[in-house]
Amino acid sequence: MKKAQTARHMRHPDTIVGVVLLVFCAIVYWLTTGFVEVPAMLSQNVPPTFFPRLVLSVVALLSVTLIFSGLGKTPKNTSRIEPAVAVTALIIVVAGVLVGLLGTMLTLSMIAVAIPVAWGERRVRPIGILAIGLPAGIYVIFSLALGIRFPTGLLLEWFV
Amino acid sequence: MGLPGLEYALPVFTDPLIIGLIILGTIAGVLVGALPGLSSSMAIALLLPFSVYLEPVPAIALLAALYCAGTFGGSITAILINAPGAPPAAATAFDGYPMAVKGEAGRALGISAIASSCGGIFSVIVLLFAAPFLARVAYSFGPAEYFALAVFGLSMLASLSGEAPIKNLIGGCIGLLIATIGVDLTTGVERFTFGVPELYEGIHFIPVLIGLFAVTELLSQAQSLGQEKLSIRLSAVKLPSLDDLRRIKGTILRSSGIGTFIGVLPAEGGTMAAMIGYNEAKRWSDEPDEFGKGAIEGVAGPEAANNAATGGAMVPTLALGIPGSATAAVILGGLQVQGLRPGPYLFDEQPALLYGIFFAMLLSNVLFLLVGLVGAKVFSRISLIPTTLLWPTVFALCFVGAYGLEQSIVDVWIMMIAGLLGFVLKRYGFSPAPIIMGLVLGTLVETSLAQSMIIFDQQWTGFLGRPIALIFFGLAAFSILSAPARAAFRHLLSRRDRTA
Repeated sequence: MKKAQTARHMRHPDTIVGVVLLVFCAIVYWLTTGFVEVPAMLSQNVPPTFFPRLVLSVVALLSVTLIFSGLGKTPKNTSRIEPAVAVTALIIVVAGVLVGLLGTMLTLSMIAVAIPVAWGERRVRPIGILAIGLPAGIYVIFSLALGIRFPTGLLLEWFV
Repeated sequence: MGLPGLEYALPVFTDPLIIGLIILGTIAGVLVGALPGLSSSMAIALLLPFSVYLEPVPAIALLAALYCAGTFGGSITAILINAPGAPPAAATAFDGYPMAVKGEAGRALGISAIASSCGGIFSVIVLLFAAPFLARVAYSFGPAEYFALAVFGLSMLASLSGEAPIKNLIGGCIGLLIATIGVDLTTGVERFTFGVPELYEGIHFIPVLIGLFAVTELLSQAQSLGQEKLSIRLSAVKLPSLDDLRRIKGTILRSSGIGTFIGVLPAEGGTMAAMIGYNEAKRWSDEPDEFGKGAIEGVAGPEAANNAATGGAMVPTLALGIPGSATAAVILGGLQVQGLRPGPYLFDEQPALLYGIFFAMLLSNVLFLLVGLVGAKVFSRISLIPTTLLWPTVFALCFVGAYGLEQSIVDVWIMMIAGLLGFVLKRYGFSPAPIIMGLVLGTLVETSLAQSMIIFDQQWTGFLGRPIALIFFGLAAFSILSAPARAAFRHLLSRRDRTA
């Protein structure tokens, strides 16, 4: 029974998060060892590694505290990630990739269709209005009025 | 004694652009505040990249008006659908929704509008007097004092949103760490740039801000799809009767004081002010048993407190450059985008700007009373906008907002990565506000520490000779250790009770 209790404590998210943070600190600390070294006179004895390492030490200390605080708690049931979240995240990433190819306006139009459909919207008319109205509105306000130059995308460059 | 800076009020109140932007900011703030999931922090973050197209006074006036009105807007849906439009309105739902269920939605909204407006106006008047005074005190601050003050500000994260002090502190430190990305100002050495030229100047906080506030919320909305909310029909908003006003006047005054004080404390925002305002309203009430069942003091208390916190939060933000709340941190970012460094010297260099902000906030607090009373019925309907159409629009604005400032796709990627990470962190109990606070304060903390270490010849003991810095360090230690000490004391008492 004691073994089962220990296993349960080990599964507490705070404990796991604390361990992940310690690993993160170790990796970032290792990255600081790659900073270019500068003479003490130039850095006035405050090298570029000083502040990041100080902050990392504090994070590591707090992470250890988090691990220990997690040991005393029983884990809560957290809701599983819904498929809609994963699909939305994927749409976001794909949009980031596609913007170079399709350009901003076409990508925004795609988002205006993809997210509502992924979230269960099936009415064609509102989706259509959003797919046309959203990029058009953004183009008028931000591109024409404020003069922001959005990426046109390779596709448009090939055709124009 | 008249209001200080009155001579700067006239340009604000007679400039049609500023007045128009304040009205726009107020209406947008109430709308954004009324939509669950959308917050004034998020709206200000989205507006920030475009505020550079305006002169500093109208730009910051717009953001400040949005801040004030957004805090009130949250109460509309808290009362009508038991879903606070913004976290500071959570306590308003405790009694506002039961009032709505009893058919008193209009009365609850009327009380909320009056209490919010009174709290906001009270805090702006305090701001008008306290900010210049605090700035005068801060004239004597050197790097050591600024470092200690920033540490105190970050330590207050331990009590932000209460439940996860360690995680809040870690979040603040992660923000500080993100701020170190780029070329080190003292030595010119690249740090964490991974050879990406766009990172040489560091990560701009705007894409991170938009990602953490808006994209994280987009994913959270995807997680909670299909959760239906019962909406109460609203016939008309009613002004509180004289009897109601007599009952709530003490609560409003008390909560306004509490809210302003909590707002002044670095990092503490409207949510905590509202909770304390609610608790105090209950403690001082002749009928505490009525709380939770539709007590009007239960609406007036948190609403006066959370709006009072807006003015309070601007005191350290403008006078010291230390944000009083997460939204104030975003406004601080807005000032930085305009090329201004908030702090005591700003009062000498840009008095018109600062008093412009104060009077814009004052006007917004009067305006949202009118907007709230007249338009609450319309605003209550915006909660009916399908999330399936609203959130793609928000994401498109995030995209444009992240891209707009530097016109760089790298910033869009930073926004997306921040949003995805923010969602993961949120699931594990981390809030975005501490990360933002750390990020905004990062440069100040690092430069003031580096300057202090140079002054003290690398001796940490040098801080011992700076009494003001020691006071701030003491307060920081108190704010970090008070919660665990209280918990340990309670644990000890309960063990003693069990053994007795």
